[in-house]
Amino acid sequence: MSGCLADGEETVNGEPENIVFMAGYKPQANLPFVGVYVADNKGYFEEQGLNVDIKHSASGEHVKLLLSGDIQFSTSDAGSVLKQTSSSGAPITAVALLGQKGQQGYVALTESQINSLKDWEGKTFGYKISLPSDYVAMMVAGGVLRENIQEVSVGFDPRILTEGKVDILAVFKSNEPDTIRSLGYDVKVWDPYDYGVPTLGLTYITTQDYANINPDIVKRFLKATLKGIEFAINNPEFAIDIVLQFAPESSAEHQSFMLRTEIKDARSDYTDKNGLGTMSDSQWKSLYDHLLEYNALENEFDYKESFRSEFIDGIYESGNLVWP
Amino acid sequence: MLVNWIKRIKEALDLIVPPTVVLLSLFVIWEFSVRLTGVADYILPAPSKIMIEIIANISDYAFNTLVTIGEAIGGFILGVIVAIVGAIVMYQSRFLERGLLPVAILIKVTPVIAIAPLFVIWFGFGLFPKILIAAIITFFPVLVNCLAGMRATSSDITDLLKTLNASKFEIMIKASIPNSYPYLFASFKIAIPLAVIGAVVAEWFTGDKGLGSMIIRAHNNLDMPQLFGAVFILAFVGVLLTSLVWYIEKNVLFWHDSQKNQNKIL
Repeated sequence: MSGCLADGEETVNGEPENIVFMAGYKPQANLPFVGVYVADNKGYFEEQGLNVDIKHSASGEHVKLLLSGDIQFSTSDAGSVLKQTSSSGAPITAVALLGQKGQQGYVALTESQINSLKDWEGKTFGYKISLPSDYVAMMVAGGVLRENIQEVSVGFDPRILTEGKVDILAVFKSNEPDTIRSLGYDVKVWDPYDYGVPTLGLTYITTQDYANINPDIVKRFLKATLKGIEFAINNPEFAIDIVLQFAPESSAEHQSFMLRTEIKDARSDYTDKNGLGTMSDSQWKSLYDHLLEYNALENEFDYKESFRSEFIDGIYESGNLVWP
Repeated sequence: MLVNWIKRIKEALDLIVPPTVVLLSLFVIWEFSVRLTGVADYILPAPSKIMIEIIANISDYAFNTLVTIGEAIGGFILGVIVAIVGAIVMYQSRFLERGLLPVAILIKVTPVIAIAPLFVIWFGFGLFPKILIAAIITFFPVLVNCLAGMRATSSDITDLLKTLNASKFEIMIKASIPNSYPYLFASFKIAIPLAVIGAVVAEWFTGDKGLGSMIIRAHNNLDMPQLFGAVFILAFVGVLLTSLVWYIEKNVLFWHDSQKNQNKIL
């Protein structure tokens, strides 16, 4: 016995394909996570003949689990995909790009009177772990002298800004600005993308081997999740209700802020024409060249190994998702 | 004199050779397992790859090791001082001991991961919060052992001092504190590796220097040879510092029965 899906693809003996998706962080309204949550809730995975076990990474183990074959799909920042491939040759590949702009931004309290990039001089800038390459590029673009900025690694707690330990803080645009506002402070946000710095955001990832052996499963997974994302864009409150089922302790307002911010960054002229999640060679090349220029990559390699667009391209016709 | 030198060399070899043989055997098994199974570097690198990584980046490892050692030793010294002062205060009365011990236990069981980010907010992002975290981890075993050692002073000695009209303070200085030395050194052997762990954990939350920071960056970049390189060096640092404590103990407590017994065993 066998069942038919779109494009004449068949499931084995009519049984859904069992796959494991692990989100790259705790349950929250990151756009690729939302696509999976909605696809699961609305039965899109089922329609595509997939039985998806949804898990969440606790401490960054998702990529290693992907490489060991314990999970089939996960999420990662595009820059991280390039850096990890450069460092270790790990055969991970992005199959959809949900962040047409990078996740990272920089904030200062409005009351600090830091209004332009030039105002950063003489101030203290806090970054999370390593000095971000897009910060360095933004300083170059803004003509700011870095030797006049005190650059310190401060970890992940945004209160380091509200307590006055730093003047400017590196943040995830869809997260900390809202958290800081909830503490009673207004912030000004700088996005490196606005200064011509090539940045890209979250992707769905899998391994090269898995993609080579199971191209139909990759396409079906993307169809279901991109349909989930389309639904979330048109029904954001419903999507947040679904997110809260996975993250009951979270604030609906904060998750809503996260989703709205990431939906905005998921769109570009390219995706308006070709469909959400699609990606171009020039985007990846620009990011690769930027990371290489600012010594964020250990070794040079063929950046084309880090993304495969045939799957996401294959689920659209004239920019419209083909369903089922 | 030559005989003494030969004896010392033999003693040193007796200490170094057994663990070296065991470790080398484990590395050989690890190396062959990785090569035979073809496990990728980004899952489990072979020891040879890790050694090549360390040698190729020796100056980076050396710099970051010194940073971590500095934080660990700073934290150890601070933790020991506070613990000894705490033990002396608690020794003065059972009431104080019963009052302060729960506070010490509270400090001990509080997960460092929960408070490390707060330390950055309260104390900034220099060396001090990392030293403080290392001190917090060091503090409890030293406090408990120091107090136990002071309370274990032989009643024969305290009675003798009392007959000589010694004050409570003099008994503490002349008898109780010296009696705690073997207990203290026992706690130092536990506390010094803990101080290293404390420094590493602190570096995970702030700072772009130190072996802890190297581990986080290597983890994010899937650079397993570098991650294991940092782990190997941390293990070596832990062994080195613990051996240093042993060496100091041997020279300071040469008069104590525990050292005489240890020499007999060796």
